[in-house]
Amino acid sequence: MRFFSFAWNWIKQPQQWHGSEGIPVRILEQLYYTGLSLIIAALIAIPLGILIGHTGRGAVLVVNIANAWRAIPTLALLVLLTIWLGFSVLAWLTPLVVLGIPPILVNVYEGVAGVDPELRDAARGMGMTPWQQVRKVEVPVAMPLIVLGLRTGAIFVVATATIAAYIGLGGLGRYIIDGLAVNNYGEVAGGALFVVLLALAVQALFVGVRRAVVPKGLRQQGRTS
Amino acid sequence: MWADTLIKLRGGGMRSNVAGTDQRKSPVLRRGTPEGHVLITFESVTKRYPGGTVAVDSLDLEVPGGQTMVLVGPSGCGKTTTLRMINRLIEPTSGRILLDGQDIMQSNPSTLRRGIGYVIQQSGLFPHRTIEDNIGTVPLLIGWGKGRARARARELMELVGLDESLASRYPYQLSGGQQQRVGVARALAADPPVLLMDEPFSAVDPIVRASLQDELLRLQAELHKTVVLVTHDVEEAIKVGDQVAIFRPGGKIAQLDTPERLLAAPADSYVENFLGFDRGIRRLSFLAASGLSLDDRSVVGEDTSASMAADTARQAGDDWVLVTDGGHQPRGWAAVSDLEVLPSGSRAGQARLEPYGHTFDVRTDSLRAALDATVLSPTGQAVGVDDDGQVVGVTSYELLRDAIHTVEDAEPAAASETAS
Amino acid sequence: MDWSAVPGLTWESAYLGIVPALIGLVVSLPLGIACARWRWLYGPVLSATSVLYALPSLALFIVLIPYTGLTDTTVIIPLTLFSLCVLVPAVVDGMRSVPDPVRQAATAMGFGTLRRLVQVELPVAVPIVIAGLRVAMVSSISLASVGQLIGVSSLGYLIVDGYQRDFPTEIYVGGGLLIALALVCDLLLVLLRRALTPWRPRRARREVPEVLIGQPAPAFPRGAA
Repeated sequence: MRFFSFAWNWIKQPQQWHGSEGIPVRILEQLYYTGLSLIIAALIAIPLGILIGHTGRGAVLVVNIANAWRAIPTLALLVLLTIWLGFSVLAWLTPLVVLGIPPILVNVYEGVAGVDPELRDAARGMGMTPWQQVRKVEVPVAMPLIVLGLRTGAIFVVATATIAAYIGLGGLGRYIIDGLAVNNYGEVAGGALFVVLLALAVQALFVGVRRAVVPKGLRQQGRTS
Repeated sequence: MWADTLIKLRGGGMRSNVAGTDQRKSPVLRRGTPEGHVLITFESVTKRYPGGTVAVDSLDLEVPGGQTMVLVGPSGCGKTTTLRMINRLIEPTSGRILLDGQDIMQSNPSTLRRGIGYVIQQSGLFPHRTIEDNIGTVPLLIGWGKGRARARARELMELVGLDESLASRYPYQLSGGQQQRVGVARALAADPPVLLMDEPFSAVDPIVRASLQDELLRLQAELHKTVVLVTHDVEEAIKVGDQVAIFRPGGKIAQLDTPERLLAAPADSYVENFLGFDRGIRRLSFLAASGLSLDDRSVVGEDTSASMAADTARQAGDDWVLVTDGGHQPRGWAAVSDLEVLPSGSRAGQARLEPYGHTFDVRTDSLRAALDATVLSPTGQAVGVDDDGQVVGVTSYELLRDAIHTVEDAEPAAASETAS
Repeated sequence: MDWSAVPGLTWESAYLGIVPALIGLVVSLPLGIACARWRWLYGPVLSATSVLYALPSLALFIVLIPYTGLTDTTVIIPLTLFSLCVLVPAVVDGMRSVPDPVRQAATAMGFGTLRRLVQVELPVAVPIVIAGLRVAMVSSISLASVGQLIGVSSLGYLIVDGYQRDFPTEIYVGGGLLIALALVCDLLLVLLRRALTPWRPRRARREVPEVLIGQPAPAFPRGAA
């Protein structure tokens, strides 16, 4: 397979594995960008989603975001911020976070808002304060969707981080962009291969997270509807 | 009163021996006399599911043509399974089902189904088609042109009592009762000889349900389709069925009989419990009021002299006199004591009159209607009238009692069919 | 700024966005119908599309380069695969939205399986399928611009060129047109849906939380809840 042979020829070169531009370093960088962005996005989106889901106010906002965010051209966002702010942390972090928030927000909202009204009623009837309702009933029940939201967010963050190499970010995307610039397809292919492996690993991680975090009784929940 | 409606509606098209018989004997309305041949036959049909559940157990059943056969029983007794085997929505595990002499397994299922109408509880109307296109579905399927199918749809809308303006509406715009009527119209569109109905009226409220049941009776009186109807409501079964099969859990028939014979002679305690209480009184719906002897001695015209009226009543031993008007229509009851204190020369019509309450039609009403009218009457007597509303005579509890006992003496213990 | 190129680039973006969505639909219809019919099929199919969905578009473009070169096809194939993740569930949910009594009535009236599918089930499924198509199309239009990085021209060219020449106006135009294009396509699909479903009440009850369309499947989807 041509793709793999290109990639392999480049990967097996020992110099790729050493130094500040070596593969291990790039992988760590990628993980750092992805992780940081995802955490920040989660810190914003999860509470917001819970709030909107629990109170029901602002739901219109969420629905509109859900429909509109896919239309955002990633590249344009990255490039504009770089022009405005120069290449800096904010220039790459902002787009990553901005693209990570909607999937998390939408799923958390849907998860919390979609809790069976009878369940909510029962919780209120038992005398739980709103905070308790959220913590003990709504969030656990919404867990599958919350995890799904994080997982979807991760997909977009990983993809955007890869593209962000174009504006100068490190990480695995670096190989792709640099390789394209000098027509070294081996480097490009190698970078792409690792990106794919990383993406798969992240997904596998979330499968594990779901297993760990979703209460047993809810495991049956399949896709929406 | 539904009982009135029941008898009146069922009067048309039924062979009853009312006309020309001796009015002192109450004949039993012969509902359910098999007319024509047997259309659907079940021969030892069993339906067993992979888990081991037996839904229908070696069923033998003959459905006579041109009548309504009702399959009734508790949940899970196999009645719906039985119904759905007729149009092969469910295939029997063993046994044969014959439709008009032919084994249904020999026909292509789709072809078979186009010749059988099917009505279900939630109507199953196609949400994406207009009412008239919904009704015209099968005609279009079998190759009629759109124009012809739509014209047919409008005919049927009229038949089931739907306003023409609804034709281009969509199902979501109609009420539940209207949707059910569309469902029936759709089932009848291609004029199939057989109509299967699976709890067709269970999803609507009681008032709508009653009117839909009446609609069915009216349609049957006109069309004489072979109808097989499944319900869990024994009242419905008795109201609309010519033959009623009561199912036991486990897919066996406990008793198959006319509604009247079921009420008169349930085969065992299961059937009796299933029929519910009040069996005796409900049975009276099936006995014609024409067999009642009526008393006309205390019926006087309003122009009769009051004193004469009072004398007639005294001689008959009655306390009340029924006063009629010039057209022999009832006006009200006059107490004999009131008549006696009127100034001499007064007419009977000048006395204070009690309302005569409900009347019953002596030709078409049942004993139950007569009994009910008697119970409701302020004087313990009910007024029997003919088709034109003219008074024929009055009943009393004694006369009713005589009529009821006459019937019971005349009938031997009914030997009803019990399919095992 | 060279305005004369803009219409051509817009057309390219439209082409690269719409074609994958349409091909995706053509593939998803039989696949989705099969999954709706044979439930055991749905789980694996969903997992497969989810895995594909998780891979960054840039990486997939690169994987294909040795086989399809730097052509439109290289961009179209991955975008089509992405759209499957949205469209197969949309078709399945659409099929499932057909009320059982309706299906039963159709069979009982003598509709064969194929006729029932075409005349009854698919028409009723239209609203949900179109909802999925909207998401697929908007996503494709946006993602196609990333193809610019491997030289497949679209409105992304304006973004890249604007960045390289430090000329923000071009980026605004490129980004703005991309968003506008996405919105126009979305609107057209909404109008299409309205035209195809005169039978739906104006305020249709939401059967599938539309906000969630386009999420990858949970780890082990167990079919319908």
